[in-house]
Amino acid sequence: MSIEHNWKQMEGQVDDELSSMLNLSKISHLHSHNPLQKIKRNLLINMIWGVLICMVYLIIIITFPIWQVQAGLGIVFIFSGWAMYKSFIQYRNIKPDISANITLLDELKRQHQSFTEMIRTQLKIALFIYPISAAAGFMLGAVIGSGKPVEDFMHKPAVWIILLVAIIILTPLCHLLAKWMLRYSFGKHLDALQEKIAELEAEK
Amino acid sequence: MSETEFLTQVRANQGIIYKLVGLYANDAEEKKDFYQEVLLNAWKGWPSFRGEAKFSTWLYRICLNTIFTLKRKQQRIDYKDSLESLSPSVEQSGIQKEEIQRLQQAIRLLSETDRAIISMHLDGFENSEIAGVLGISNNHVAVKLHRSKEQLSNLLKQ
Repeated sequence: MSIEHNWKQMEGQVDDELSSMLNLSKISHLHSHNPLQKIKRNLLINMIWGVLICMVYLIIIITFPIWQVQAGLGIVFIFSGWAMYKSFIQYRNIKPDISANITLLDELKRQHQSFTEMIRTQLKIALFIYPISAAAGFMLGAVIGSGKPVEDFMHKPAVWIILLVAIIILTPLCHLLAKWMLRYSFGKHLDALQEKIAELEAEK
Repeated sequence: MSETEFLTQVRANQGIIYKLVGLYANDAEEKKDFYQEVLLNAWKGWPSFRGEAKFSTWLYRICLNTIFTLKRKQQRIDYKDSLESLSPSVEQSGIQKEEIQRLQQAIRLLSETDRAIISMHLDGFENSEIAGVLGISNNHVAVKLHRSKEQLSNLLKQ
């Protein structure tokens, strides 16, 4: 029997389980499993968390009348607002719907680009926030831990050196950790997309 | 384009979806996920279907774009779809069923893009149509198709 004949015969196979899903009332209630859809959902959750965290910053700024902590958290607050704005722009730009109007290669490239842009933006935003967060956390921790006002220990040069060392060590460390986490979350998917793009482009 | 027309068109061409999800899914669960996602994307994209292309070509695009972007790992598939679980609309002998299953298994051993090319070719699409769906040149399709056919006949001889 020829390959063509057997292929045609395959068409005659009906999968009852799958066929039962072909119902408009069911289709309209389906949720997409597209990874970009999941990222979009996660960005929305992150933005909601961002708003809540900003509210906590505000409470701390009001509760702790120490100008250094207030200034540090104030800057973190502004950066968080900026980060949320960038996330919102990204959220708006992510188009998870699969289009039948573009070719498979273009669709794969579009998906790959959306992922890499998201990762790049997240890393860039985080790189600005880490040093400020580390400084504010350092001061707040010292105030709570020692029970003394910031002025009592921040005038010592040794404390400033420790703070600087902490920032110098923590910032690249957190950046690398974030990079690793993003790679862990999306790396396999990005590699798979890249592999398929390369296969399609192989003889272009 | 009405909802009824959408269902009619999909029902008439659902053999394409069955075949493609069966060729790419690693297990029964993934097969179900692919099918659902294809239906969802087809439904969402239905308003943009203007009938300029054949519905089968449009559906192929939806299926391949969905499956390729959803599929995480490019691994060899050990999932054996039991033909017993399917209800054939035509009477098939045991030998015929075995041959169909062997063909399905052999195509699954090809690379992901080769599976797409051979499927479209066996469904009667011209090389230019396949190239238009995948976004590659006609020459590239012809070369890949030639290699896939050779590979497939070798696999079926084994």
